[in-house]
Amino acid sequence: MTGESSNGRFAAGLDRLPGSAETAALRAAALEAFSATGFPTRRNEQWRYTDLAPLSSADLDFAPQPPAEELISRVAAMLDEAGFDPAAPRLVFIDGGYCETLSQTGAAAGLSIASLASCGAADVPARTHAALDGHPLATLNAALVSDGAVIAVDDGAEAPEPIELIFVAGGQSDLAAHPRIMIDLGRDAELTLVQHVLDLEAASGWFNVVTEIVQAPGSTLTLYRLQDHGKLRFHTALLRAELAEDAKLACGWFDLGGQLVRNDFDIRLEGSGAEADLYGIFLASSGQHTDNHIRMDHIAPRTKSGEAFRGIIGESGHGVFNGKVVVHRDAQHIDARQSSDNLLLADNAEIDTKPELEIYADDVKCSHGATIGEIDEEQLFYLRARGLDEDEARDLLTFAFANAVLERVELPELRERIADRVAVHLADGEAAGEHP
Amino acid sequence: MLKIENLHVSVDERKILKGLDLSVNAGEVHAIMGPNGSGKSTLAQVLAGKDNYDVTRGRVVYRGEELLEMEPEERARQGVFLAFQYPTEIPGVNNAYLLKAAVNAQRDANGEPQVDAFEFMRLIRSKMELMNISKEFLNRSVNEGFSGGEKKRNEILQMLVLEPSLAILDETDSGLDVDALKIVAAGVNSLRSKDRAMVLVTHYERLLELIVPDHVHVLSDGRIVKSGDRELARELDARGYDWVQQEAARA
Repeated sequence: MTGESSNGRFAAGLDRLPGSAETAALRAAALEAFSATGFPTRRNEQWRYTDLAPLSSADLDFAPQPPAEELISRVAAMLDEAGFDPAAPRLVFIDGGYCETLSQTGAAAGLSIASLASCGAADVPARTHAALDGHPLATLNAALVSDGAVIAVDDGAEAPEPIELIFVAGGQSDLAAHPRIMIDLGRDAELTLVQHVLDLEAASGWFNVVTEIVQAPGSTLTLYRLQDHGKLRFHTALLRAELAEDAKLACGWFDLGGQLVRNDFDIRLEGSGAEADLYGIFLASSGQHTDNHIRMDHIAPRTKSGEAFRGIIGESGHGVFNGKVVVHRDAQHIDARQSSDNLLLADNAEIDTKPELEIYADDVKCSHGATIGEIDEEQLFYLRARGLDEDEARDLLTFAFANAVLERVELPELRERIADRVAVHLADGEAAGEHP
Repeated sequence: MLKIENLHVSVDERKILKGLDLSVNAGEVHAIMGPNGSGKSTLAQVLAGKDNYDVTRGRVVYRGEELLEMEPEERARQGVFLAFQYPTEIPGVNNAYLLKAAVNAQRDANGEPQVDAFEFMRLIRSKMELMNISKEFLNRSVNEGFSGGEKKRNEILQMLVLEPSLAILDETDSGLDVDALKIVAAGVNSLRSKDRAMVLVTHYERLLELIVPDHVHVLSDGRIVKSGDRELARELDARGYDWVQQEAARA
């Protein structure tokens, strides 16, 4: 696709997006930057295993309408049905737009939660544009962002309970949403945030999310994301974080749905003692494609990182893991661990896993490992010898593989929810059974 | 209960069992003894339905049915239980889940309702006490990080809960200290009844001092070469296996 045609494609949407003349100019500049490269292709090493052609050629609506009352009540019913607590602090977005009716921002000392539009979208593209170089889809987000979440925790404050960000695709086909999440943690601040991504009903479309995190010294952020789209949806996301001294970031990423999913992580450990821990599960079957792409920069000494992802790849599924750890010059006493463990459930399941290390310091401890395996025959026999039929035993062992990661989720209700959804996906749409 | 006739089994073209005959009636406990490599564990695994074993000749009839035609899970549901020599570690699956799934699989096969949480706890509590297994154990992954003794006690706990008609214990005494051996033996003995048969595969006589067998068989080079009562086990303990093998060679 050439710059010209992509520009034309987005221009119609651009006119309908919110913001002042100044914002419009920033959007136009971001769009120009995106158009110079267009959608990344597989010729780009960073996109070698992920083909965006189905996305770049899709006919999408880039300026979603605000949700109608009828849609809001359907979403409300779905969330109730799914067991979400309407009284919990949460921001609900429908087709990328903030839905105040279903949200609950509450009030806690030192904590501010707001939608992006309500705090003035004007300065958003400006603040983010430069930082997103090298991420064309994030640049497009800067051009087309219409809403999102802005969360800040003051110095020394602690969010009393987890905050939920719920993104619902409302069923309108071929819609493209570009939400932006901005998280700012003050010195020694603490926050737990859970991002849910789900579809009201199966429809095609695209979510292109950018999350920007700035953590002051000593702050602690725990982030979870449960991506449970229908299997027609495209989902791309960039999470960018800057961590100052002794800041701690933990991300649990659970990708269950979607047709084509690409997660980019760009983590910068800028202050000594900073730690980032990324882990997750991704499922890919029946033509699903899921790609986790991590760049971890150890800029300061005594920084620590962990990456541990497990992929479960079924019938004609394709999983990708690419984790790159860069240890900068003079960043000594580094501890970086990477693991990519994958379970293949079908002959035509495919996984590409590539842990990479780039080290410019000498006192570092780095480890990486990748495994690709099938269901263990000895374990299978043991379960069958106890009376479990073969399919049941296979499902159980597959679940067990995921369970080791699930155990790291510290919120019991969320852990249970993810476990239920994993079981549903593994049973491929059948009713979920009990799980261990 | 169990009738094995002229059983020949190979692994990768290598002949392990070479015409084994054995008949076990309800209420009986049989011990199969023999030196390493005589085919004891192969017999146990074949009875439980492990693949990788080629049955080239012979048949096994269990309660009037062809056992070798049945899938492993079918055998388990029909009351065949193998206590593994090396119980498999299954990270991510906890003991409570496995026990419950096993009970329910059996109940399902018998057309009985599924066990509920309360009934399940009632079912297993006294059995856990007997096997000296604490409640925390239920939430641990199956056999993961267990000591040798814990693994074997866990096997016997599963057996007590499932109450099989035919229990096959494969080297259950190996790797156990005296105290653990006593616990395991108490568990096994508590299950002895006139409706139930047991086959103990073992290398050592010491288990048979605690679980006294009705019949003792010596397996050598893929066949049963001598049968007797518990005195035979004592004699084997005192004299080793050579004399039996020589006797068999002369016959």
